[in-house]
Amino acid sequence: MSLFKIAGGIVYDPRNGVDGAVRDIWIEDGRIVAAPADLSVRPGRTLDATGLVVMPGGVDMHCHIAGPKVNVARKMMPEARRNAEKVVRTPLTRSGTMGSVPSTFATGYKYAGMGYTTAFDAAIPPLVARHAHEEFFDTPIIDKGFFILVGNNHYVLKQLQESEPERLRNYLGWLVNATKALALKVVNPGGVEIWKCGGNSINGIDANVDHFGVSPRQILTSVAQAAMDLKLPHRVHVHCNNLGIPGNWQTTLETMRALEGRRAHLTHIQFHSYGGNADDQTTFKSEVPALAEYFNAHPNLTTDVGQVMFGETTSMTGDGPLGYFLHKVYGRKWFSADTELEAGCGIVPITYKDKSRVHALQWAIGLEWYLLVEDPWRVAMSTDHPNGGSFLAYPEIIALLMDRTRREEVLKRLPPAVRENCVLPDLTREYTLNEIAIITRAGPARMLGLDRKGHLGVGADADVTIYTPSADYQKMFELPRCVIHHGEIVVDQGEIRLNSTGKLLHATPTYDEACLPDIQHWFEQWYSVQFANYPVSDDELHEHEVQTGGNGLPQTG
Amino acid sequence: MALKLTYHGETTVPVEIEGLTPDWACDKSVAEIERFETFHGNRKIPLAEMFRVTGDASDKRLEFEGNLSGVHWIGAHMASGQIHIQGSAGRHVGSEMTGGEIRVHGDCRGWTGAEMHGGFIHVHGNAGHLLGAAYRGSVRGMTGGTILVDGNAGNEIGLTMRRGLIAVGGNAGDVVGFNMIAGTILVFGDSGIRHGAGMRRGTIGLLGPNRPPLLPTFKFDATDRPPIMSLLLREVRTKGLMFDESLLTADFDFYRGDLVSVGRGEIIFRHDESTATVIQRQHVPESVQA
Repeated sequence: MSLFKIAGGIVYDPRNGVDGAVRDIWIEDGRIVAAPADLSVRPGRTLDATGLVVMPGGVDMHCHIAGPKVNVARKMMPEARRNAEKVVRTPLTRSGTMGSVPSTFATGYKYAGMGYTTAFDAAIPPLVARHAHEEFFDTPIIDKGFFILVGNNHYVLKQLQESEPERLRNYLGWLVNATKALALKVVNPGGVEIWKCGGNSINGIDANVDHFGVSPRQILTSVAQAAMDLKLPHRVHVHCNNLGIPGNWQTTLETMRALEGRRAHLTHIQFHSYGGNADDQTTFKSEVPALAEYFNAHPNLTTDVGQVMFGETTSMTGDGPLGYFLHKVYGRKWFSADTELEAGCGIVPITYKDKSRVHALQWAIGLEWYLLVEDPWRVAMSTDHPNGGSFLAYPEIIALLMDRTRREEVLKRLPPAVRENCVLPDLTREYTLNEIAIITRAGPARMLGLDRKGHLGVGADADVTIYTPSADYQKMFELPRCVIHHGEIVVDQGEIRLNSTGKLLHATPTYDEACLPDIQHWFEQWYSVQFANYPVSDDELHEHEVQTGGNGLPQTG
Repeated sequence: MALKLTYHGETTVPVEIEGLTPDWACDKSVAEIERFETFHGNRKIPLAEMFRVTGDASDKRLEFEGNLSGVHWIGAHMASGQIHIQGSAGRHVGSEMTGGEIRVHGDCRGWTGAEMHGGFIHVHGNAGHLLGAAYRGSVRGMTGGTILVDGNAGNEIGLTMRRGLIAVGGNAGDVVGFNMIAGTILVFGDSGIRHGAGMRRGTIGLLGPNRPPLLPTFKFDATDRPPIMSLLLREVRTKGLMFDESLLTADFDFYRGDLVSVGRGEIIFRHDESTATVIQRQHVPESVQA
């Protein structure tokens, strides 16, 4: 394949220390290559990017775009799609539907159209991994992967009960291989299981999980340790206990403390930073400063925000009790699922209103996290799509981070109680383009251990987004001038130019196969599927690539 | 002079003319209207393939003729003007309309006036299921306007209705006013079962000679002859629906429900002497009425 040169763009490539310098980017065979030493070598194609902003393709490290939960949400809310923008079929692209949970095809086109070339579904029960892969096959253009839910898995709980850390590690290693996942995720560790057994929300990380006699603390630390021992590219992905409950910040702080000495990623942390009393909404307040202070001092932790944006959306979670809680609060339709031995699930439509004191504070709390984490490499952009809002809100969030007068304007129309219960009005920090490039691509790629994503150094995947600079940052990031994926122009001024399937990114940790007979026995005793039918085999996958990066100690700063 | 649309299609595949409203057509030439994009199944065709178009729509009056029972979405989204349908019409007549008037001189199929926001529909024949209903999944259905049906209607009429009036001269099917938020539904003939299930507020008058069964989550409230009933019935008569005139001076039995929900709705029957409890409400003397 011939050389492709992106000439003269203003390049933001934080991982390689390029902050707004004019550079040429050379591409060959879908990868970034070094500029040819021989100056007489001419590229086969040149894209003149003079005056344009060049960044690596965006990386969304936490969203919900595949698997049964997403499908249920689509089916459950026909009204959200009926009056939404239509994605019309073209000779190149398939039709699709929007709303807060777009169809698979629309999801791929919209991510690519916004300059994002990689996205990860954050909550797939291992049992339904096959379904997620099928949906990925129908999610065009972007590269993708997923994390598997293990925080309420009975086999995991049993190993903890029996103090079998090696068997646990080997099981988790086998499970990542069997499902073709990238990482391990714990959702409300132990709490989903307690609720499934008829209990209530748990009070803290030392609660007792029925039948197993283990605590969320044990689950957190053991899975975090296993993820490190297995040398998974991404550290354990943690959705803390007590999501959304006023006063939950103490649980979050306890979780951080419990994870001391181990690497972990705390996801959608906005939803876990609430002060106040669960029985009195008027006491709801931000506790970000206290949490951020601890977080800043502990480089073993990374986070993504889970920003709330005002409007209609869908709460979709592996946290079954949370779905029930939201249904009780808002009285709207509710779906709950129990994935036999593995996980739970709750889906509830939700409308975030700027007139609501609680919702407005949630919005402010999300922004506080972006602004109070000192090291942008440790905080990633996310709305927990679609939980806090759509991924399509990222350009708006970027504008809020880069422009404090814009934040001030929104604050003006929010209930006055917001100002008294958070520190957002006092935060003057404004993100630079380089910092935006960190939290939207370089940072999440590094946190996920993706060596070839999120940067433009030699050997990286040639995923490049080119923006037309503008003082209106939202507009700038909503409509990239051009999006390049694996060295091909896929989007030109909002129009899809090339349709592709994209790659699956997954991990293949090594584990001791001596663990298999016990797992097989477990399956034969309890599972609804045969052990042999459970793993997703290579020939069921579309194009895929094993990720081995991100090992070793945290790289910060 | 009205725009005349004579249907000559001979097909069992649905024909959809969503968007062909008086508001759209009023400033168009016949040639432009003939090119209006309609669906025949999943195929796009110009209107002229199925309709003969004559006259003009400058007075915002459309007249449909022919057997239109396979033609759907007539008058959907209309905001003003008049549509007259001589003969039967298909599904979704006047769906989501915000104003204007539709008269059907024949039968209509399902979803007539679904999620209607304003305006007036009068079906002189029968209407199908889900008259004035919310579409699947919607948080609220009809939010305004009036639907009159001289004949019978099917199941789930007024599903999740929020405001407005639906009156059926003949019989209705099951679950009238299912999940109703507010608004008024009157049925002058007989009806099926489980009416008002889940209703929060609103009024369902089931005024036919045979009282339908009531869900156990409705509670008898009172027997009464409130002035509003007479006013409401006269209003319906003025709008053009005929019913048993003795209702104008009848007593009614009021039931409150659905108690599994907010429970502030009411179902009204003609008074029946055999009703177990009769509580005569104390009327305010006319002298103290404002």
